[in-house]
Amino acid sequence: MTDHARNYVVGLLLLTLSVVWTWLVIVTIPAGFGDGDIGPRAFPLMFGLCLGFLSVILLLKSLMNRQKVETARSLATEDQLIIHWLPSALLLIELLGYGYLLKTVGFVISTPILVVFVMFINLRVRSVKMFLGMSIGITLVCWLVFEKVLGIYLANGWLINIG
Amino acid sequence: MELFLNAFALAFTPMSIAAIGLGALVGLIFGSIPGLTFTVALALALPISFNLDAVPAIGLLLGTYIGGMTGGSVSAILLGIPGTPSAAATVLDGYPMTKRGDASIALGTAVIVSVFGGLFSLAIMIVSVDLVSKVAIGFGPAEIFALVLFGFSTICGLCGNSLIKGLVAGVLGLMVMTIGLDAIEGVPRMTFGSVNMMQGVNLLVALIGLFAVPFIIEAFSEDRTKSGRMKKMVSVRPELPPFGLLFRNIWLMIRSSLIGTGIGAIPGTGGAIASFLAYDNAKRFSRKPETFGKGNIEGVIAPEAANNAVTGGTLIPLLSLGIPGDPATAIVLAGMMIHGLVPGPALFMNHATEVYGIYIAVIIAYVWVLGLQLLGIRVFVHVLRVPREILAVIVLVLCAIGAYSIRNSEFDIYAMAIIGVAAYLLVAVRIPITPIILGMVLGPNLENEFRTAMMLSEGKLDIFYTSPTVIIFLSLAALVIIFQSLSELKMKRKEKQKVNFSDA
Repeated sequence: MTDHARNYVVGLLLLTLSVVWTWLVIVTIPAGFGDGDIGPRAFPLMFGLCLGFLSVILLLKSLMNRQKVETARSLATEDQLIIHWLPSALLLIELLGYGYLLKTVGFVISTPILVVFVMFINLRVRSVKMFLGMSIGITLVCWLVFEKVLGIYLANGWLINIG
Repeated sequence: MELFLNAFALAFTPMSIAAIGLGALVGLIFGSIPGLTFTVALALALPISFNLDAVPAIGLLLGTYIGGMTGGSVSAILLGIPGTPSAAATVLDGYPMTKRGDASIALGTAVIVSVFGGLFSLAIMIVSVDLVSKVAIGFGPAEIFALVLFGFSTICGLCGNSLIKGLVAGVLGLMVMTIGLDAIEGVPRMTFGSVNMMQGVNLLVALIGLFAVPFIIEAFSEDRTKSGRMKKMVSVRPELPPFGLLFRNIWLMIRSSLIGTGIGAIPGTGGAIASFLAYDNAKRFSRKPETFGKGNIEGVIAPEAANNAVTGGTLIPLLSLGIPGDPATAIVLAGMMIHGLVPGPALFMNHATEVYGIYIAVIIAYVWVLGLQLLGIRVFVHVLRVPREILAVIVLVLCAIGAYSIRNSEFDIYAMAIIGVAAYLLVAVRIPITPIILGMVLGPNLENEFRTAMMLSEGKLDIFYTSPTVIIFLSLAALVIIFQSLSELKMKRKEKQKVNFSDA
């Protein structure tokens, strides 16, 4: 994908976001009462409109600049524009799952599960020693340092409560 | 003279030195771990201070504050994840220096200029506490709004190749911060009926997501099939910055410290605004502005000197008027009042010895910070010897703990994940991250101060053009935008000429 095509897609997505945002702001947030009270709606509405305006400019620019200045830049940096969809999606799922596990089974159980899962799926590690060392090591050190030494609360699960 | 000698006697007791050192160490640890703020460290230190005398107690709190402010740079430089919002600007050039193998020079420079900034602001505070507090207290909502708008105009210098994309990023940052309960009227905004969404997106959670998640994704995406084993982050040379480097940048250090002190003296502003303003100022007046963002040491010096100079600046309204500039100084204020030191003009008359003792405690705190950090550099840089993928797993857990511990809410882990993945995608489509941070840092202030100003003026806009301070800041903002637009046009014209020339 060339730079102008990418800008075109980004511009379209941002324009959609601004339209949805602005509509939601108008529908869900009450306006101010006047006489100095500009209300909670004014700023989100203004930001939504600004985003719409900027995305229209981005769209127009990408349509006008098809083969001009951007080509030189995009050619030089094409290799850096790869999006790693799978690791991004995996990480998102892992963090959402970790958040859920934290409140369910607590820090002491959910952290080794996360570490083992990440090492097995993302890093493709197959060494049992590494699994044990990393999962128990990270959990134990974090639990000792944060919970016991620094007195910072680490989650206790409502289902299982350890630590 | 006798007062000073008494103050020395109070500040140089073994208990006092140890308390300040303990505070500096705890502050450094909390500051350097993303998500654990020095405000939390101060809250933990406050009960310990109850059993101490006044000077060691306030020294403990100030040591924690100063250590925390300085510690934010450690993870910003080593991992590209700011430990505190004040260190967000340090990432821009500090992390590229680490990638180049100059981590220890960046860390050494950061701590030395931090100490310089802190002591410089302390000196300014002692000399001009009356004058500066009078000027700073004159800042109403309209003036702070204009200052924040001026800070926001620096976005133009942080846009990278495209001004439009930079502005888009800035607006996205502003939009994110409007989610949650409205600070003035308590109206829920874009919460979709969710109780968790009402608390909004915490700035620190967003910062962790913006910086840590893309780092983790990149580390997990590396192709290990070629090398067959995990690689080290970078090669490390444990060396300190040469004296000449610091001497060459002395004017930049002074300028940045002045910015930090000035911003710190205005309640409700803070280190993040100061460091971004100083960064922009350094870039604007640099001989090599094109090297900023690629590992220019000036990009580390400016924000670090400025954010530590804020510590002295915040003491001005705190000691002279009893107004804390941020939550951290509010805890220091609480500590002072518990020990019978009620801030205000009477403080300097009734407790002059203790006040001078506090000044000396600040100096001792900076000495501790300097010693601990310089000794620690050799230890800190070993982090970079850990294979990148293993480090990413550790960072993942630490960031999740950091995000969770801010409000003990798993919602913050979800927010961190979503913002982080979104940031990764935005970077991939060449939308810069820095303006998003600026939008997030300045957004709440921008809105709240404008709305408060409008309420005070009963809807009349003259509040914004009758104050000379407002006019000065708005003019400066306009100038920055005009200059940046002109330079972008110039650059575009040059590129056009190049293309035409090559076509011919």
